[in-house]
Amino acid sequence: MARAQTIDDIPTLPLTQAAYLPGEAFDEMYDGDGTPRAHYREMHKRLLTLSGEDLAERQKTLERSFLLQGITFTVYGADSATERIIPTDLIPRIIAAKEWSRIERGLIQRLKALNLFLADIYGPQQILTDGVLPRELVLGATSYRREMQNIFVPNQAYANVCGSDLIRGKDGEFAVLEDNLRVPSGVSYMLANRDAAKRTFPGTFRAANVRPVERYPDLLLSTLKSMAGWRSNPQVVVMTPGVYNSAYYEHAYLARLMGAPLVEGRDLVVHDNMVYMRTSTGLRRVDVIYRRVDDDFIDPLTFRRDSGLGVAGLFNAYRAGNVVICNAPGTGVADDKAVYAYVPQIIRYYLGEDPILPNIETFLCREPAQLSHVLANLDKLVVKAVGASGGYGMLIGPHASAKERADFAVALKADPDNYVAQPTIQLSTAPCLVNGHIEPRHVALRPFILSGEKTVVTPGALTRVALRRGSLVVNSSQGGGSKDTWVLSEGKSKP
Amino acid sequence: MMLARVADSLYWIGRYLERAEHLSRLSDVMLNATLDHTEAASQAAHIALSAVGDHDIARSAKPFEAARALVLDREDSNSVIMSLAQARENARQVRDQITTETWERLNLLYLKVTGDDAEADFSAGSSAWLHDIIADLHLFKGAADATMSHGEGWRFLMLGAYIERAQLIARLLEVCFGDGKGKKPTDHIALMSLLRMACALEPYLRVYTAEIEPRFILEFLLLNEEFPRSIRFSTAQMEDHLSRIVRPGDTAPGASPERLAGRLKARLQYADVEALQANGASALLSTVLDECAAIHEAIFETYVAYPLELRLPA
Repeated sequence: MARAQTIDDIPTLPLTQAAYLPGEAFDEMYDGDGTPRAHYREMHKRLLTLSGEDLAERQKTLERSFLLQGITFTVYGADSATERIIPTDLIPRIIAAKEWSRIERGLIQRLKALNLFLADIYGPQQILTDGVLPRELVLGATSYRREMQNIFVPNQAYANVCGSDLIRGKDGEFAVLEDNLRVPSGVSYMLANRDAAKRTFPGTFRAANVRPVERYPDLLLSTLKSMAGWRSNPQVVVMTPGVYNSAYYEHAYLARLMGAPLVEGRDLVVHDNMVYMRTSTGLRRVDVIYRRVDDDFIDPLTFRRDSGLGVAGLFNAYRAGNVVICNAPGTGVADDKAVYAYVPQIIRYYLGEDPILPNIETFLCREPAQLSHVLANLDKLVVKAVGASGGYGMLIGPHASAKERADFAVALKADPDNYVAQPTIQLSTAPCLVNGHIEPRHVALRPFILSGEKTVVTPGALTRVALRRGSLVVNSSQGGGSKDTWVLSEGKSKP
Repeated sequence: MMLARVADSLYWIGRYLERAEHLSRLSDVMLNATLDHTEAASQAAHIALSAVGDHDIARSAKPFEAARALVLDREDSNSVIMSLAQARENARQVRDQITTETWERLNLLYLKVTGDDAEADFSAGSSAWLHDIIADLHLFKGAADATMSHGEGWRFLMLGAYIERAQLIARLLEVCFGDGKGKKPTDHIALMSLLRMACALEPYLRVYTAEIEPRFILEFLLLNEEFPRSIRFSTAQMEDHLSRIVRPGDTAPGASPERLAGRLKARLQYADVEALQANGASALLSTVLDECAAIHEAIFETYVAYPLELRLPA
């Protein structure tokens, strides 16, 4: 009888030790000795049986299905517009039940504290009086909206939908990289990726006992409705900047699955501080607006005057308490990158608890001592502009050229208040299909937290992938992709 | 209850898809007929091109070029490819209001006609390619019928399709039976092509047998009660859909679209076939076109662009 083949004897299989050489970073699938971790065992076994052609075929089916469903974003060229699908990897990333329960508790704790923080700074500002954060750091942030001062927000839930970015460093511990409290996106990809993964790995999925994510739209709707508890059946709408927005697919998707109308600014009118939508039979009152339009553009009378995306008078209707805007305007101040450095203190201040999920060590360049440390260590640090997002306006020291670093140092010295720096984290890696081989790529995790009357975390997430070898930037605007995330159940998995 | 903008988009999806189907069929019939170098062939090409407003005689001498322009010209906003692109753009804007089954049919069709292979596939086998486009459009209609609620949204979709259809058939008939200059088709094969352009050959044969007479064709395409592409049938459908869409309490000034459609339906219902034959169909056909334009305006004024002051809560 022939000896069972070792994986190295099967060169046609894409998952071979030779092809998969984990680097420095923590790997999600293999432990330090190269043995698959317990929660990855089923998936690992399955991957060993699939050839490169099998996987490529499945990848093609997945991409075709995304294109057909219209899960695309549009790239505008000089004279044409091309639709592309978001790069998607078919191998799911798996998280063990115990790890998830810590993440879940940590995220709920964090969002509760941040909502209390928002209620405080747009109210009595006790935390500033007590000197926990420098007053000018909060009130001087560009994302601070003084128009929100003393406005009643139901449930004190300012950020109803939050997508935090978590990363896992070399030590294998999850930490929060940033909070997204403005208009976080990506949840539709979480759901679309799940749908695809179920079709790609049905047997493995069943055996692994994965927790479902499909309730998200339903939870979102009840969160939004809980924001207008005084209306017996509040009319919820999703507000989109329109079909040219890169996240339009997601806006339409959520509206469809919630059964809520998808409106644009031009569909709404404000009369006597009430908001109405123009229906085919007349005007109809709107109670809750889940807006996917940035603060600046929601109301030209209050915010940017040159914006045509919003509704004139919307903010006054909000101030009068006749409509609820979700997320509340001004939540951006709590995900400001300088305020981020204080989140552990914010959690202790409002909840009297230690943070469950740690922050990444952050240097505030506004402090002269920290600035000189940052300037001396530019080649080791990641420097970010406080107001920016999406991977723009940042320097990754170890990957930058000497000239880029020198240029950035000039900008830094000119406006130190605008920058923070963090050590370069080797994000953990997970197996991805690259050119017919399974190779490790750096990943980050974006779970979604909903907060209304209650705060809940959907047991799943969008795993974002830096598809270029060695790259640490996972933003879709910078060549990142995504994959499904399986959160396993507590119970024993069924055979 | 639906957004006014959504109602408008669904209506336009109906119109654009009907237009795309009609142009695909005209092109297909024209290409097929002009394989023969006969009088019938040039008559067929003349009918098809005149019906889409192209009176350039020189074009009908090059039917393949003409058909390719009707189908694939991105500069012409009425071409098949642009109609499908606009229908799909409208569908994207109301993606939350149409079913996934319906959307996927349309998206697939759009990806096919705008794909890199479209030009080559059309040149290699235009007849098969157009046949597939028409079949895909039928699949879309089937999916819409079978998966969408037959409520307001679906009715706006149907309304657009039937108004467009009535107008397209009326233009086709104007070319053949109107007062305008140009030769009228008399050739048996050319008349068969005319019936094919209205997708009417087989149903016509069931009623009139292979006796193909211009007056029967006129009667069939204008006044038949049961044939889904006759103008009378389309008008009856328009009236039916309009009567079932909830009307706003206060009506805008001007005639209601439902009343206009009912009036046109009655005219066609009681039209005198003898008189049509004696005096020509021109007057009735231009009434049809004018009334359809008026109904289109009235729908827009009543359901989409109504003045706000009429609808504010008391």
